[in-house]
Amino acid sequence: MTGRTVIYNARVIDPASGFDEKGGVVIEGGVIADVGAGVVKTTAGDLKIDAKGKVLAPGLIDLRVKTGEPGAENKETLATAGDAAAAGGVTTFVVMPDTDPVIDSVALVDFLQQRGESVAKVKVYPSGGLTVGLEGAKMSEIGLIREAGAVFFTNGDKPVEDAGVLRRAMTYAASFDTLVASRPDTPALSKNTVMNAGAFAARLGLRGTPPEAEWIALARDLMLAETTGVRLLVDCISTERSLDAIERARGQGVKVSCSVAAFSLFFNDLDVGDYLTYCKVQPPFRTEADRMALIDGLKRGAIDAVVSAHDPQPTEDKRLPIADAAFGAVGLETLLPALLSLAIREEIPLATILKPVTSGPADLLGLPQGRLAKGAPADLVLFDAAAPWACDRDDLSSRSKNSPFDGRKLEGKVLRTWVNGATVFERG
Amino acid sequence: MADYAFPHRHLLGIEGLNRLDIETLLELGDRYVELNRSRVKHTDVLAGRTLINLFFENSTRTQGSFEIAGRRLGADVVTMPIATSSLKKGETLIDTAMTLNAMRPDLLVIRHGSSGAVKLLSRKVDGAVINAGDGTHEHPTQALLDALTIRRRVGDIGGMRIAICGDILHSRVARSNVACLNVLGAEVRLIAPRTLTPPGAVEWGAEVFTDMRKGLAGCDVVMMLRLQQERMDGAYLPSAREFFHFWGLDEEKLSHAKPNAFVMHPGPMNRGVEIESGIADHKTRSLITEQVEMGVAVRMAVLETLAKNAPDFGVQPTAQAGAKS
Repeated sequence: MTGRTVIYNARVIDPASGFDEKGGVVIEGGVIADVGAGVVKTTAGDLKIDAKGKVLAPGLIDLRVKTGEPGAENKETLATAGDAAAAGGVTTFVVMPDTDPVIDSVALVDFLQQRGESVAKVKVYPSGGLTVGLEGAKMSEIGLIREAGAVFFTNGDKPVEDAGVLRRAMTYAASFDTLVASRPDTPALSKNTVMNAGAFAARLGLRGTPPEAEWIALARDLMLAETTGVRLLVDCISTERSLDAIERARGQGVKVSCSVAAFSLFFNDLDVGDYLTYCKVQPPFRTEADRMALIDGLKRGAIDAVVSAHDPQPTEDKRLPIADAAFGAVGLETLLPALLSLAIREEIPLATILKPVTSGPADLLGLPQGRLAKGAPADLVLFDAAAPWACDRDDLSSRSKNSPFDGRKLEGKVLRTWVNGATVFERG
Repeated sequence: MADYAFPHRHLLGIEGLNRLDIETLLELGDRYVELNRSRVKHTDVLAGRTLINLFFENSTRTQGSFEIAGRRLGADVVTMPIATSSLKKGETLIDTAMTLNAMRPDLLVIRHGSSGAVKLLSRKVDGAVINAGDGTHEHPTQALLDALTIRRRVGDIGGMRIAICGDILHSRVARSNVACLNVLGAEVRLIAPRTLTPPGAVEWGAEVFTDMRKGLAGCDVVMMLRLQQERMDGAYLPSAREFFHFWGLDEEKLSHAKPNAFVMHPGPMNRGVEIESGIADHKTRSLITEQVEMGVAVRMAVLETLAKNAPDFGVQPTAQAGAKS
């Protein structure tokens, strides 16, 4: 990108600083050269873009994305996931290590980075497998993999069941002060379940995942984080009680942060409705009380990151009786619209609701992007915060179309996305 | 100091020794270095005394070192490798002790794989017991030989900054060395990944580091520890190469210590795992072979000192002679 690009006449929102005013951004050399109310139409520049009063914010950072690359490219590639991300205003995403082969070596991290750079329109960061092959038995080369560029370590959707292994892996990871992410789940309780345990699951005749599956694992993880001193990201909590436990631990000085999947903020277990397999996800949609508690947590800043939990599954794995269908939902393109819809429906300020998808995750990983500051990478999104639309899965850029938002009405549309100052998406 | 009466019957650990105890042993060790470097490496201060080497764990260098030490002092030395002997089969530790005690040894050098086992045996025998390593607890003669090496080659240990690096958690050498170096006034640092750092290590009187470069800054001496193969299989550490990358001593990491800092290792070494060959073999900076030499001298000092305190079996000469034959 040569020259100076001036984006003016925008509603500029920087969640990191709380800035929310009319103004603009100047891009030069791929970074933000200027930002604020002082950037106007007459600001010197080679290319001028009239934002027409729409919102200009940092591009989104999504800490939980699965593609099918390597190993299941029929589901999604880094290229198609990159397209979906750009269309959704997501300019950085972290891929989970549960690929085939598992990202548990320096070579795989190198591969992911190189593929990401060469084929994806947005920034791709690998996370590293916490244990070799995600088998939960031996810790992976955490130090070397971290040096190679893995931004955190996780066992993905396969929890480390052996507390001794987890304790030592956390202890070792603490040597490097690296972030360890863990999705709290107790397989003994969640195995072969379909949706949230409760009256609705019972009425449908489906095996339910009790919330204890999350609580028990969370209690263990929090204890181990406390005693080992590791920085723990509790990945995708879905219940009120989990949030309470995390806030309590945080109050006691445990280095713990948490994320919530956007779908957990948007749906409750009744949305599974008529055996909708697109609504079969992990963690499952919980109760309305849980959903509201998580939204409350979002409002008061207790949730560090909201993630898409993007998990593409092809039709053949979803068009099955719900008990046999695969878990997972695509989410890169609906992450921002879901949050913007919530902002309107729950009256949440935009700067507040955008923080856990911008500076929140950036701070967890120590990334320079995710904020509108001079010198920061010009990863930006321009969106209409209120434009209504109906989600049609066939319009999604993802290779797989398994979206629970299919057919839902949403508010908020991405108009244009920039990565390092270059346009990677523009709505025609 | 020569007339200082060493007040201990056994040498079970460095813990419990005061500065005078340690310095008495080191000074005597110093004198034995000279003897060992002369042509006739022999005295008869332990003539008529019996030394039993009792090794429940296989050892080459420590066992050999004690054997040579005992022989150079004129003692009758018997080595019993229990790890491979029939004594091990079915007999309890206490039974073994009682059996050997009946042979009336004056000095018993014992190595055992369980922490505390040597202390247990010391309560059941009449002779002086020297701990040659118990589990992951203590290895006092190693700490003494290390101190003697440093004193002779580097200088006064008081005020010196010494780093101990590697598998601290499972190391009896580290425990004894921290205690010994602390008593002698050194500033001790422990450098290890958190999985190999013992809980509460800060309370040992040492500063604890995970980053080797930071930990080595300004160190006069760098003591490397042996990393057991079984620690590298993914439980405590992901791999040997990762360990070497972050905690193996190479030229670059060593450059963060004082210029010309000395390097030590209790052996046997895993070259390329905890230490680079070039450093292990360094002509001026590596003290590793010198440590082995000091080992014999310091063990002679320990044997002589404890023999003086050992009960005199000569009270009933006839009965004793019968028992010993």
